[in-house]
Amino acid sequence: MYLSINWLKDFVKISKKTTPEELASLLTLHTVEVEGWQEQSQTYNNVVVGRVLSVTQHPNADRLRLTKVDIKKETLDIVCGAPNVAVGQKVAVALIGAILPNGLEIKESEIRGEKSYGMICAQDELGLGTDHEGIMVLNDNAKVGQFFADYLNLKDTTLEIDNKSLSNRGDLWGHYGMARELGALLKTPLLPYPQPDEESLKAEGKAELSVKIENKKACSRYIAVKIDNVKMAESPAWIKERLSAVGARPINAIVDITNYVMLECGQPLHAFDATGIKKIGVRYSKLDESLETLDGKERLLPEETIVITNDNEPIALAGVIGGAQSGIKENTESIIIEAATFDAVSVRKATARLNLRTEASMRFEKTLDPHLPEIAWKRAWQLIKEVFPEAKLAGATVDVVNFEMEPVAISVDFSWLKKRLGRDISRKDTVTILERLGFSVTVEGNILLVTPPTWRAVKDVSIKEDILEEVARVIGYNEIPSLPLSATLSLLPENEELKLERKVQDVLSGTGHLTETYNYSFVSESSLTKLNFDVKNYLKLVNPISEQHVYLRQSLLTNMLQNVRTNQFNYPEFGLFEIGRIFLPIAGEYVKDEKGELMPYQGKRVGIVVAGPDGNAVFNRAKGLAELVLSSLWPQARIELTVLENAPLWAEKGQAAAINCDGHEIGFTGRLSTEVTNAFGIKVKVAYVEINFKELLALYLALPAHQYEEAPKYPPVTRDLAFVVDEKILYNDFWKVLIDFHPLIVKAELFDVYQGSGLGEGMKSLAFHLTYQDRERTLTADEIDGIQADLIQRCQELFEAQVRDF
Amino acid sequence: MKNKLEKLRDEFLEGLAEIKDLSALRELELKYISRKGKLSGLLSELKEISVDLRREAGEAANIVKREMTEKYNEVRAALEKKADGGVVDPTVPGEKFESGQLHPLTLVRRELEDFFATLGFTVLDGPELESEFYNFESLNVPPHHPARDMQDTFYVDIKNKQGEYDLTMRTQTSNTQVRAMQKYGAPLKAIMPGRVFRSEATDARHEHTFYQLEGVVIDKNINFGHMKNILEAVGKKLYGPDTQLRMRPKFYPFVEPGSNGEYTCFLCQGKGCRVCKQTGWLEIVGCGLIHPNVMRAGGIDPEVYSGFAFGFGLNRLVMLKYGIDDIRLFNGGDLRFLKQF
Repeated sequence: MYLSINWLKDFVKISKKTTPEELASLLTLHTVEVEGWQEQSQTYNNVVVGRVLSVTQHPNADRLRLTKVDIKKETLDIVCGAPNVAVGQKVAVALIGAILPNGLEIKESEIRGEKSYGMICAQDELGLGTDHEGIMVLNDNAKVGQFFADYLNLKDTTLEIDNKSLSNRGDLWGHYGMARELGALLKTPLLPYPQPDEESLKAEGKAELSVKIENKKACSRYIAVKIDNVKMAESPAWIKERLSAVGARPINAIVDITNYVMLECGQPLHAFDATGIKKIGVRYSKLDESLETLDGKERLLPEETIVITNDNEPIALAGVIGGAQSGIKENTESIIIEAATFDAVSVRKATARLNLRTEASMRFEKTLDPHLPEIAWKRAWQLIKEVFPEAKLAGATVDVVNFEMEPVAISVDFSWLKKRLGRDISRKDTVTILERLGFSVTVEGNILLVTPPTWRAVKDVSIKEDILEEVARVIGYNEIPSLPLSATLSLLPENEELKLERKVQDVLSGTGHLTETYNYSFVSESSLTKLNFDVKNYLKLVNPISEQHVYLRQSLLTNMLQNVRTNQFNYPEFGLFEIGRIFLPIAGEYVKDEKGELMPYQGKRVGIVVAGPDGNAVFNRAKGLAELVLSSLWPQARIELTVLENAPLWAEKGQAAAINCDGHEIGFTGRLSTEVTNAFGIKVKVAYVEINFKELLALYLALPAHQYEEAPKYPPVTRDLAFVVDEKILYNDFWKVLIDFHPLIVKAELFDVYQGSGLGEGMKSLAFHLTYQDRERTLTADEIDGIQADLIQRCQELFEAQVRDF
Repeated sequence: MKNKLEKLRDEFLEGLAEIKDLSALRELELKYISRKGKLSGLLSELKEISVDLRREAGEAANIVKREMTEKYNEVRAALEKKADGGVVDPTVPGEKFESGQLHPLTLVRRELEDFFATLGFTVLDGPELESEFYNFESLNVPPHHPARDMQDTFYVDIKNKQGEYDLTMRTQTSNTQVRAMQKYGAPLKAIMPGRVFRSEATDARHEHTFYQLEGVVIDKNINFGHMKNILEAVGKKLYGPDTQLRMRPKFYPFVEPGSNGEYTCFLCQGKGCRVCKQTGWLEIVGCGLIHPNVMRAGGIDPEVYSGFAFGFGLNRLVMLKYGIDDIRLFNGGDLRFLKQF
């Protein structure tokens, strides 16, 4: 929204010494954000009024003239190409250094051998029209040497206000409301809002109109005023100037006046052509109703749109836009001014559904004071009377009042204000601030009784904290001292989850040398389908932004595969990890509200992808990383990879395993099938690990800290042993037998897997370092031989394993 | 015995003098001074000598052994130096270790978490899929408030018993405020960093998924001045000890009074530049005294306790810190970006 400083000056005294920058800063620091300001005259820097003294033919060009132009200070030689230039004309002269609205920069130049020290401007070059036929000839009022901006009487400066910062202050959507704020900030009185004298409000005859509000909720006030004897004419210059200054396009006097009043006091008005309008109604739209609006569009009315009707037929979209049929026309002589208060929520919904925001709707959706329509229509009448002295009120005004408003006094303790602000503000200042803002204030002892004005009570002021804000912001937040908090020791438990998250991040980005990635929480149907996931089981957004982000992820894999695709041609091999939430359509841990219903599951997962040219290598690396996470948390943990009951559908057959830590399943890993990687356009081999972070945390919290163990005093004995078994025998099944066979076997470390000549079809060799140790004594060779013989026999029984000689 | 030892020594030294390379040296080592070499064999004979002679022989054995080892080490050092080419270039790079990276958002988030921890704040986490109650209602955002619009908020496709959508992707970390109040009561001093969502089309400056960090302090007698003090500390932490804080009114439904906090632009030191849009100030924080309705929703009596809340966008802090000009890079998963941190 734009504010004209001249307009503000109608209502509040602003010293000439106050710069626009100071005003902008004042409003920004105390009321709303000012985004910038523009002095209108800046547009015509270095453009002055000159008089043409002589015109002669250019010696070297038929179409050019040499002129001498008097600009009072001096006489300039200017080469001019316009056919209409003539001696005696007053013209706009752009001096050297001027930058014209069309972007042209004026420099000293030589045109066909003749020097030129400026330019005589055409209308279009000045941004004042489209005419380029000849130079713009000024009228007699122009004074030679005068700034062109002064000739145009451009003395205004506009401030641009950030509309978003006005969202809770419907009262600031007009100059008068802003003037009230400035009055409080500059400590100067606010002038009363202009109203016509009582005499001029006397109407002849009875009301020719009726108004019926069918849906009470839709409209709290409706005033209709019929005015005869108006004509369609241009507005007077001063109205047009004001409108133009704040970016409103002048149309005709009636429309301009309704806009003028809106920009002044914040109340939108609408003018109907009175022809045929007798029975006005206000109601919600019906199914399949439509209306051709002023912008020439036929619009189907969304439900809950408030419509203004005549004989029950829609003639306008209340608070948004008028109908084409009932609009002001060239030959309109009789009008109806509508000044009303429409329900903010209904207007907002209608604009959203129609995708149509107007100056009026922006104001209505902020919630307006239902007292305002009365002031607004009278102001409009005052202006209409000024522009059309013959205009007359046709019949009594119809005023339907459908609200009750008794602003309640808010009780505020002076000491409470101090307690919340951290500084004292004198009682006198407090009262003055509030009174200048329109509050009525009485003081009873230590208590302030503050009654907010209707334009504030309607929306944003109802509790003592609101009063605190009013006082604090006018004093200025920067005038409040910075006060150190007295030391309060943290009373909450440490966040173990966060600590664990950091540990995992550190080990994966450190020892694991992976890169951390963040992905969206949303995935596309096509990605899920490629991974053989069924979208039916997925939570999804009602209103997604794009097809890429519709479903809530149930695994980090989906988007991490996109990461693989992104990077595959830039890096031959790489690994990424992510920690993030997944979402499942089952009850989770968080309650929805105070009734205790649980919201969907949203636990965290740790995802790891490894990509490279060799499928076995990436799968090995992925498994190793999973073990790394666990062993970094529990150096002595027993980590096992076991067969997955339900292997993920994206995995290569038989290439997936569950990850177990001390017997707790904590995640899974797998190598992606070629079909899946192909579907994603991935040319490299990929393996994935997903660790259930919630389970990991539970385990982390449940497992006690390790106790120190003294380093063994007696030496370990290591024996190497290789077994030949059927290739279908799984390592982990075999390993469990070894490690659990005897208490003296403390480690069974696989060091070689061999398949090939000498073993026989379908066989493989598993070679282990077996470590024997007793904490109490040195083991003898005989003892170990005995255990090992039993172990070999056991393996024969269980797996038909044969010991292999090296 | 002594003679035997000296003979062995001389034999070894003669052999050593002939040695030209490390492999020959190794052979000599195995033959004479390894665990199974001639010297060990000779020494094992010591056991068989009578006790009175053994001491003398033992001393002689030690001397011989030391001589042989010293000479051997000399020759070996010389040979190794020769094998290395004689000259060592110390500027040749060392062994390569690959390193991993944390996401820039993680880095900045940790820095702030640690900073607030030193001020006595606890770090809390909250749900990303959130009910309208915690995301809006409990924060004093009434039904039909523009913030609840589908234009701004992602709704999840599950209807409640009334047939309405009441689950959202949280639009701000403030959802955790009331949850924290309900769980821990007052006093409370906590920050809540996390992922938030807005239903907004993405471009270089806009994202529908980004990060915020929210903080609350609740105790008896907390006032506006206390809030300024903490925010000043945050500014100095982020942008250096000379950083100034400027506050101005701003409306947020969950605070009253509501404010914005701006810090001196660190790029131009407040002189005005492109990044601060010539104002000299960077708008970083939204803050205010917690609205009594929010305190009540959290089960805390606003007549007894008061508090303040503040929040800022982490993405923006990271972008300013590293000069990142496209917000989409954060969720883009491109290693050419991620490996720079």
